[in-house]
Amino acid sequence: MRTSPALLTAAALLAAATACSSSDSSSSSGTSAFDPKTCQGGTLYVLNQSDATAHHLDPARIYTSGGGAVTSLIFRTLTTRHRVPGEAGDEVVPDLATDTGKASDGAKTWTYHLKDGLKFDDGTPITSKDIKWGVERAFAPELPGGIPYLRDWLAGGADYKGPYKGKELDSIQTPDDKTIVFKLRKPEGDFPYVATATQFAPVPKAKDDGTGYEKHPVSSGPYKVASHEQDKSLVLVRNPYWSRSVDDQRLACPDRLEGTYGLNSAVINQRLSSSAGKDANAITTDTDLSPAELARISTDPSLKKRAVKGEFGETDYIAFNTKVKPFDDIRVREAVAYAVSRQSVVNAVGGSSLAKAATTFLPDQAAFGYQPYDYFPAGPNGNAAKAKELLAQAGHPNGLTITLAHRNADYNHDGPAVATALQAALKQAGITVNLKPYDDAGYGDTVQKPSTEPGMFLATWGADWPTGGPFLAPIFDGRQILEDGGNFNASQLNDPKINAEFDAINQITDPVQARPRWGALDAEIGKQALTVPLIHPIYIRLTGKNLKNAYLDQWRGSYDPAMVSVK
Amino acid sequence: MTAELITEVGVSTEAPTRGRQVRRRLLADRMAMAGLVVAGVMIVAALAAPLLIHLEGQDPTTYHPELLDSARGGVPRGAFGGAGGAHWLGVEPTTGRDLFARALGGARISFLVAFGTLIVQILLGVSVGLAAGLGGKVADAFLGRLIDLAISFPQLIFAIALLAIVPGTFPRPILLMIVIGLFGWGGVARLIRGQVLSLRTRDYVAAARLSGAGRVRIALREILPGVSAPLVTYAALLLPSNMISEAGLSFLGVGVRPPDSSWGQMLSTATTWFQADPTYVLVPGLLLLLNVLAFTLLADGVRTALDPKAPSLRGGRK
Repeated sequence: MRTSPALLTAAALLAAATACSSSDSSSSSGTSAFDPKTCQGGTLYVLNQSDATAHHLDPARIYTSGGGAVTSLIFRTLTTRHRVPGEAGDEVVPDLATDTGKASDGAKTWTYHLKDGLKFDDGTPITSKDIKWGVERAFAPELPGGIPYLRDWLAGGADYKGPYKGKELDSIQTPDDKTIVFKLRKPEGDFPYVATATQFAPVPKAKDDGTGYEKHPVSSGPYKVASHEQDKSLVLVRNPYWSRSVDDQRLACPDRLEGTYGLNSAVINQRLSSSAGKDANAITTDTDLSPAELARISTDPSLKKRAVKGEFGETDYIAFNTKVKPFDDIRVREAVAYAVSRQSVVNAVGGSSLAKAATTFLPDQAAFGYQPYDYFPAGPNGNAAKAKELLAQAGHPNGLTITLAHRNADYNHDGPAVATALQAALKQAGITVNLKPYDDAGYGDTVQKPSTEPGMFLATWGADWPTGGPFLAPIFDGRQILEDGGNFNASQLNDPKINAEFDAINQITDPVQARPRWGALDAEIGKQALTVPLIHPIYIRLTGKNLKNAYLDQWRGSYDPAMVSVK
Repeated sequence: MTAELITEVGVSTEAPTRGRQVRRRLLADRMAMAGLVVAGVMIVAALAAPLLIHLEGQDPTTYHPELLDSARGGVPRGAFGGAGGAHWLGVEPTTGRDLFARALGGARISFLVAFGTLIVQILLGVSVGLAAGLGGKVADAFLGRLIDLAISFPQLIFAIALLAIVPGTFPRPILLMIVIGLFGWGGVARLIRGQVLSLRTRDYVAAARLSGAGRVRIALREILPGVSAPLVTYAALLLPSNMISEAGLSFLGVGVRPPDSSWGQMLSTATTWFQADPTYVLVPGLLLLLNVLAFTLLADGVRTALDPKAPSLRGGRK
């Protein structure tokens, strides 16, 4: 997930993991306890603001984390997220493959074997060639929008233009129908996490007609598409060739799923809270409670029971461009870090139930390798005295006037609400902040291009998967400064020692071993005050009153329609 | 202030007895007087806002996180949105900024934009109306169509589009005056043109013309005083409508920019809070309602008082 709204939406669509066996751990709101053995039946309704299939129902064009919420019901992938509640939900587990991948050649070669009995929704068996075809077609220029990692990681990927002109990508090999081997350009210990993306779903070459494939995608998951109207609706029915015996990761309780898209967030929450008629069987995979609704729900116990809390690894922060004065001076950056009032920012995005104060760039979850640090302790309301002292040292004894750029909309936590909260806090430290709002659509383009990037702006960063790598590398790896746009290394840090540490950690294939290294790297970079971390958001979402086994998973902070029951 | 302006205009237009008559009628109109009192208090409060806010000991931009229940979405602690001795009207949810200070800031914006817009509307409307009424047939035909266009324009859509494309550095209140004024002068112009057409055949105008007065002199010295009574009435009615326009545009997020406050903008953020913190909705809502009502009642009183067909009052109030 990136700071652009389209990708934010994609991230918001990401699904959740949940417990197949541990039904005791979740907040089921139905009358009888949840039992995976008898949970089948009924229709699940999904009420969303945007199309849960990310507009194009083509696995090559979908950009979600962990395979997505609704998309993961149609497209199975080599690996997938672990669908259990709690921290174990951050783990990656095999899906179509027998394991999460065997690394060799220093994490530059990854080998997978397929499970037995896998079939498409027309009964034809799934082979490793279908997976190779699925990955290759994601390179085709006519199918844009997928994850950026394939082009960067796979050997020869940078110049590959897709399979439609008859050229294969030689770095993907299929020695037999059950085996697939990926050869990478550089060591990537996180490859199993990337293999959860829909680009790693099988696509039968015989049924693929390029851009038309999204109208009749072939399913490998528990449901197949009965109808799909882009940005309006989606109907899924059972895939007769899928069963739990070939898929231990999805419960697929409802017989049918009906999605309605394009709804207003207030309407979604209103319908879920009243739970009238069909809405009793409804969930949302992209809409959080608003602060005002939260205040109302806290006084209504029956609603409170249906409001489920989760977290998605995300940090909302102030980004500095160190090429712009006065932010080239670390003392000015530190002064800002001391002056911020995180309590005001938390309140601006909806209070402590929807966000928590952040002093580290990595989210405070074990999977990211979180190591606590707070080098510029501002306390909840800012340390104006310390900030003034630093400003005086930096040659601004009479205060400073700076400009804060922000999005002209609040939905992404980088809008006027947060900006005015910071403006008020920095004023206490003698820093006059002029706000510069940018049009919603143009904001990403402006801040992601070094030549137009403002000196100080509000930014957000969410994880494509829950490890430290995708969280830190785009922001702080000096080789990822992109002059032509799409740049997320806002500070334009290019430190050979830090770059080398990225390379060293990427060779580690055991995520548990990599964690402390990512945490230590974050703690090291944090000393330079290149960003001012403000908050980590918390997700709270409502379900209809009949929903069972509904909870927000650690990987995505969203419900998982593969695990809920409406019976 | 407004009432004085109106009666003075009345005095200058017609015989002195007419002016007294108008004043007497207005004073006898209880609703208009109530409107005048409320509007007067509001205007004085807006003018004295810095003083009043200082008296309260607050300011419109300081955040008070300690007054909010963060776990409940940031609603103010305490009854009535945290209203009390320190914060007279309570504080804003999610920020803790003082509502009294922000409401007064909103009043300043509301009056500033309403009166500023009125000036734009009268300047444009009177000049086009006079030119159409006194100019030749071609000028009248052209300007008449222009007036029709101004009146039939889809104002709201254009105002939103214009406000959205102007750079953020341009002062918003002035921009609002120009944009609302630019789309609201058609009525004034049509009114003036109609009055001029009926006035210019009067004997005193003909007399002025025969004595050699130029067109501009006739327009300014002979015609304009004659149209001032309906103009004042119309202007009084435009004021509350301008307030609503400003509130509406700010409500839609294209009006004043934060951290400046406006009633419309406050209402817009408050709407989602009407169940959790009703005070937050009531403050800007009631202020806007009271103000618009007061100015409308006053305008209505002025119209009745200036109406020559209205029954005359003798001997003042009983």
